[in-house]
Amino acid sequence: MKVLARRIEGRSAMQRADEIGNRAEYLAFMLGTEAYAIEIGNIVEILKPLPITEIPRADPDVVGVMSVRGRLVAVLDLKRRFRLARTFTMDRKSRILLVDAVEEEIGLLVDEVLQVYRLSEAEIEPPTVLGTEQPPHVVGIGRPHGGAVLLLLDLAPLFAE
Amino acid sequence: MAEHSGGGRGDSAGDKAREEFFSEAQEIVDGLSRDLLALDEVCRRGGSDAELVNDVFRAVHTLKGLSGLFGAAMMSGLSHELENLLDDLRLGRIELTPQVLDLLFQSVELYGRILSAAKGDGPEPGGEVKALLAALGQVAQQKGGGGGSVVAQYELDPGLLGVLTEYEEHRLRTNLQAGLSLYRMRVQFQLATIDSALDDLKAKTRPHGEIITFLPTGEGGDAESVELEILVASREGLSVLGEAVAAPNVTIEEVRRRDAAPPGTKESIRPPRPPTLSDMAPPPLPSFAPAPGLDASQTIETDDYTEGTRTSRPPPPMHQTGLPGAQSLPPPPPSAPPNVGGPQAQRDQQQRELTLRSVTQTVRVDIRKLDHLMNIVGELAIVRSAVSRLTERMRLHETVVSGRSGSGDGSARDGELRELATSLTRLHRSFDRHLAQMQNGILEVRMVPLGQVFDKLARIVRQISREHDKQVNLVVTGAETEIDKLIVEELSDPLMHMIRNAIDHGIEDRDQRMLVQKPAVGTIALNAFQKGNHVVIEVEDDGKGMDPSVILGAALKRGLVTEAEAREMSTKDVLALVFQPGFTTRDEATSLSGRGVGMDIVQTNIAKLGGVVDITSEVGIGTKMTITLPITLAIISVLIVEVAGRTFCMPLASVEEAIVFDESMVRTFEGREVMTQRGSTLPIARLAKVFLLEGHRAGVWFNEDAKTPTPPAVSASRSVGGRPKSYVVIATVADRRVGFVVDRLVGQQDIVIKALGRSLKKVRGFAGATELGDQRVGLVLDAAALIAEVLASVASAPGEPARPSPVGASGEVAVVRRTADDVFGGGGGAPPARGGFA
Repeated sequence: MKVLARRIEGRSAMQRADEIGNRAEYLAFMLGTEAYAIEIGNIVEILKPLPITEIPRADPDVVGVMSVRGRLVAVLDLKRRFRLARTFTMDRKSRILLVDAVEEEIGLLVDEVLQVYRLSEAEIEPPTVLGTEQPPHVVGIGRPHGGAVLLLLDLAPLFAE
Repeated sequence: MAEHSGGGRGDSAGDKAREEFFSEAQEIVDGLSRDLLALDEVCRRGGSDAELVNDVFRAVHTLKGLSGLFGAAMMSGLSHELENLLDDLRLGRIELTPQVLDLLFQSVELYGRILSAAKGDGPEPGGEVKALLAALGQVAQQKGGGGGSVVAQYELDPGLLGVLTEYEEHRLRTNLQAGLSLYRMRVQFQLATIDSALDDLKAKTRPHGEIITFLPTGEGGDAESVELEILVASREGLSVLGEAVAAPNVTIEEVRRRDAAPPGTKESIRPPRPPTLSDMAPPPLPSFAPAPGLDASQTIETDDYTEGTRTSRPPPPMHQTGLPGAQSLPPPPPSAPPNVGGPQAQRDQQQRELTLRSVTQTVRVDIRKLDHLMNIVGELAIVRSAVSRLTERMRLHETVVSGRSGSGDGSARDGELRELATSLTRLHRSFDRHLAQMQNGILEVRMVPLGQVFDKLARIVRQISREHDKQVNLVVTGAETEIDKLIVEELSDPLMHMIRNAIDHGIEDRDQRMLVQKPAVGTIALNAFQKGNHVVIEVEDDGKGMDPSVILGAALKRGLVTEAEAREMSTKDVLALVFQPGFTTRDEATSLSGRGVGMDIVQTNIAKLGGVVDITSEVGIGTKMTITLPITLAIISVLIVEVAGRTFCMPLASVEEAIVFDESMVRTFEGREVMTQRGSTLPIARLAKVFLLEGHRAGVWFNEDAKTPTPPAVSASRSVGGRPKSYVVIATVADRRVGFVVDRLVGQQDIVIKALGRSLKKVRGFAGATELGDQRVGLVLDAAALIAEVLASVASAPGEPARPSPVGASGEVAVVRRTADDVFGGGGGAPPARGGFA
């Protein structure tokens, strides 16, 4: 943290202004006890859970399929995908993030939606700080002001064949 | 321009125009293909058809114009060269030989590939186009003028010959070479009625011969009439033709040869011989110079540019569509009374409107727009059921109220309520009816004739049969049978594969056919017909058939079946082995008919459409493959069933009947469950086991009770033995039957079926899903796939591990148990058939 702070101080005001302009917005959400975030551009909509119909034989991380205004959307449980839990849960805080995937939209079941963070490049650490071998969907660690620590996700590898 | 299309979701005007260009170009190419096939047919009979060549020319010309507009350089270049070739063809400068036809067919093929390349589907066939262009260039060099001397032998006015277009001159020459007689008609026309009168005359003449040209004579006319000289080539004698066109204003005479020899004796009735070098001499006729004194604008041109234009390049056809006759009338003589133009202009106007109207009879619609409409109809259907419930409640309320308060208190309000309920019911019925009409209407719009795909196949047959040097006749019936557009699109590949196999491996060589006393020309019959809610397509050949013993041998060798299984297999089972993915016959191609190469893909593709493929074959007689498909994918009637608290929809088209399940009727053979139904054996499968469902959880998760889903209402009906009552839904697709055991029959409903998204496509057993109301989604079972799966697992050896559904195994054994918290089968014993997110 100190190293980072020093690095920021060492930059010119111009650079800092640029950084503010370049800040990307991330939506933070909880999966179990861990905080994650994805770039807001990926998100089409945040939905309260609708009735979801289970699909027999689908992968274990598929919660099921739901109808969003007449369109069928598969709902994926990120907790099971990331092996954070063996079962999924839904309660009043649960939300479904409707995101763009390959040729369709997919719902991601999350436990709670936190807030939108604007992160500058300086506020993002490379994933390698967690170890050299990281899964491709982990693209970095966000450390916004206020002390939150967010695991930043790239969705594309999750939907790749 | 061609490159800026870009992916993404851009929906700019440019993209739209491009898309329209593609679909229009595709349509033209399809038409081109049809015309070429017809031309090929004519050629094989030794004839020629000028009108067909013209059609082809027009199509290519339009393509050239279109591709120029859209900067599709490759297509434009190809079209340009083709246009030249076709122009030479229709002007008789080159002959329509099989080689030339081959080039034309090749170009159709290449057009198709250029189009798919432009859509990002496959590479651009640059090399092939270059090769074809070179070949076209070579053909163009062989052209010769030939035949002018024939014309010179006739007593024709040089002035007349001088104003013939190159095309007319060619037609004249060809007809004379073919030994037809030439007649000269002089006809008086009233200027006011000339258009229709001329059409009449053309119609009368057509059965007897061909009108080469017509020109005003410049004499015999007055202010209101004009005399035309018409040259007609005919096989008939003067008397026949004279009688056909007889009218007071018509005189007709034969144009004699200068040497007075009777025409037709020296020339054979064959198309002109191949041009040789000696024919390259310049044609003796001054084709392009208008005769002195005859202004070109005074000549009468027909509404068809191919007959009448004065340049070697006709104007684009699209300019021709609107205004026939507009430039075709001779300017009225200066002394003409003013009222002459009146009715004429009026008729022009009428004709223009007529033509415009016919042009706008059809619209091209993106299938996705229809899908969208269909979705809306689906939503409306849900609204309808909500209204229906409301109406019902209102009526109940009304009866309750009126039953309770017989006395005067509030009876006015009751009356009002009753009235409201009645109107609401009436409105609801009307809404219901119109909605059904709308559904049907949209469904109808989606239907296209199978001919669309059959036309393509005819080309394939020609190509493959030439490749293999086999003569094959394709006989098509039922091309008018209609089926959903989406299905047609997906059919062409499987059908092509089947036909390729039929020619490649089914039809024998000519010698071999002679040996077994079959006609030298093989026949492939492509039959389509509707059968209830299904469309059946048969591909039948009269080839050597498939030998079950050979197939079985190959399958044994490849380890697809065991000896024990082989002994028990019926002929039908054996033939079905060709659909097995591992069944390749490449090594045994000499000993086996060779079918099965890629047949598994055929079956998979057909299965995706909810259809099945069946084979019947007789050694030495031939093979018949039958595809049975649903007519439409969009709206279907389903039987809603409940299994372990989950709701599923079984397409009613596949349901034969549903009966009460009697556990005591179940017999077990080698671990497979069957029951006897009306004297025949019916394999049964318990859906709860097929899908590995647990009995105590409902399959729908609501927000409120997510952690404690409502238990299914199994307690509803219990039969005498204390066991819950259940039902057998007997499903059939083609002639395969399986009884599916379910807990409850909920009812019947028309639903709009929607495809599961890309990430769920791999999950087998479901054709899609639908909204059942209350925002709940119901999965629609893929009857064909499930039946195939159940029967396949029945046929498999008991010890085989990788079968998705351990059907049978009486009682509660053999089902993979999962931990209670493991809701969706993710634990250890997950079924292998699952799919989803990778």
